[in-house]
Amino acid sequence: MNNIYQPQKARVISASRESIDTVLLRFQFADKTLQKKFAYLSGQFMQIGFPGWGECPISICSSPSDSQKYFELAIRDVGQLTHKINELKSGDEAWVRGPFGNGFDTDLYAGKELILIGGGCGFVPLRPIIMDALAGRIKTKSLKIFYGCFNEDTLLFKKQYPEWNRGAELGIILEKPTANWRGEKGLITALIQKRRISPAATVVMVGPPVMYRFAIKELEAKKIKPQNIWLSLERRMYCGVGICQHCAIGPYYVCKDGPVFNYAQLKNISHAI
Amino acid sequence: MSAFVFALVCVIILLIMPKEGDKLHQLIAAVFRDYFVYAPVKRAGRLLTQEAKTPDEVDWSGKLAENSWKEPFLPHREKLFESRRGLLETKGEQPPVACLGMNILDLKALTLFDLVFGNDVYYQNRRQKILVIGYGADWPNSYKKSKVFSHNFKEDALEHVSFDIFIAGRKSGEPVFYSGSAAGRKLLESCRIKNFENIKFAGAVAESGPDKRMLEIKGKLERSADHYLWNNLDQICLACGKCTIACPTCFCFDLEDKVNPDDPRRDRKWGSCFYNDFSLVAGGHKELDTVKKKIFFWYYHKFARIPKEYSYVGCVSCGRCTRTCPVNIDIAKNIAKILKMK
Repeated sequence: MNNIYQPQKARVISASRESIDTVLLRFQFADKTLQKKFAYLSGQFMQIGFPGWGECPISICSSPSDSQKYFELAIRDVGQLTHKINELKSGDEAWVRGPFGNGFDTDLYAGKELILIGGGCGFVPLRPIIMDALAGRIKTKSLKIFYGCFNEDTLLFKKQYPEWNRGAELGIILEKPTANWRGEKGLITALIQKRRISPAATVVMVGPPVMYRFAIKELEAKKIKPQNIWLSLERRMYCGVGICQHCAIGPYYVCKDGPVFNYAQLKNISHAI
Repeated sequence: MSAFVFALVCVIILLIMPKEGDKLHQLIAAVFRDYFVYAPVKRAGRLLTQEAKTPDEVDWSGKLAENSWKEPFLPHREKLFESRRGLLETKGEQPPVACLGMNILDLKALTLFDLVFGNDVYYQNRRQKILVIGYGADWPNSYKKSKVFSHNFKEDALEHVSFDIFIAGRKSGEPVFYSGSAAGRKLLESCRIKNFENIKFAGAVAESGPDKRMLEIKGKLERSADHYLWNNLDQICLACGKCTIACPTCFCFDLEDKVNPDDPRRDRKWGSCFYNDFSLVAGGHKELDTVKKKIFFWYYHKFARIPKEYSYVGCVSCGRCTRTCPVNIDIAKNIAKILKMK
């Protein structure tokens, strides 16, 4: 019987500092046959850790089309384990399990006006959708990316903005920017209010619970239906396969039935968001 | 004369032939000889499920012990990996274990564990080596009379629970034996018990479908988030988590790394949704941040989430949580309140 708790060794093949508190790591499984068989969907996550340090769930942020070559994780330094991960250099090893979760059903975005809304490090799992849409692997009608962040130092994936600006409408808003910032200032909700979003648009949103509560109000004001809003949740989790109960919300497990949920699924569950 | 001799021989045979009760002694002796035994044992006035050294220690009153039978099946702490060099799966060699005297309600809890941990290599390796001997004093009358609030009693209860041997005690007369597996049958036969009934496991859920009472509670509990009950419990419950430890179906767990230089390891240990770090994420956000949310989470798991996932009861009505609760929260009364909802 396969051991569902058995992590595999993965090696860092490149490490780059994405922002003041976040590192972007590209991994390959130490076992090459594992890498060749590896497949994941946008929005799925890995459990990453070290012997003696435990594990934490991190969204995959590379395109599924690269899954047989490598996978990338962008990890913010918020606790002991993520601090240690942030210190990893090329050639270092970590232990991973996964992929877990349902991922985004990107087939649903075909032919649609797709709105991606990211808040803080919640922006990470949206990156593969952007990359696949711009490469034509997801055939959307149009793509708008709205990204709310604290300041310039915490912005993620800056190097890709010129490319994203060419293929999509990229709106960035900073909560507390420096005096040099010439872009928009405020919260993500202000950006949603200002921009044109069609009532028929499909919205994919990833961020903290407080962002969901306010952003959903703005989207409802723009006549977006709950069933066209998708969001990804964060919870404490251990097993990753719907047994340990830590990530349960109502009848669902964030690790197994999520982390991606339709808003219509969650809106009547108390404390889901 | 010959008729007299024949009758005499018959009487002698009847006298020396072991009765079912004696056979029970033989069976128990065989179990103690070949297995490490867990059983209900009364020590210092407390009836607890624990290691029994001799057959005399086993309590046959049929009363439920204070604690559940979780420990032999899902230890409160177990080493999953040795983590000195990487993460090496622990291949624990355990002696054959017998769980002797499990009540039908505990067998239901075990049946749920078998469903939940169906793909768990640690659970399965351990489970395969455990001999399960159920016992019902005055069975099935004892079951019919007990205050089961989470589901209905069915005459075919034994067909839908996991066990190797079930011993039905009778108020008068000899016990009746049932076998629930090839291992159970073999053991009964080796003790020269020929008069037993084979019960074929017909799946955890009856052919007629999931339990109606369970579904009724589920339907109402799912809609009960705003019920006054949860506000009341918020004021009373201490969130101590004793109920989760006593409960035979609570199986939440944490994974925990230990960096002890002599034995670095990744463990699984029992968790509790009442504990403060249960839903804590990096950065400090905690989903279950009030007692009301915690206790609702606990009830929801048992009465809605498990029935949805497995079509099986998440509470077996053993009442251990009520017995152990320091502030007398009575699960049966609370479920009765939920059932009064329209």
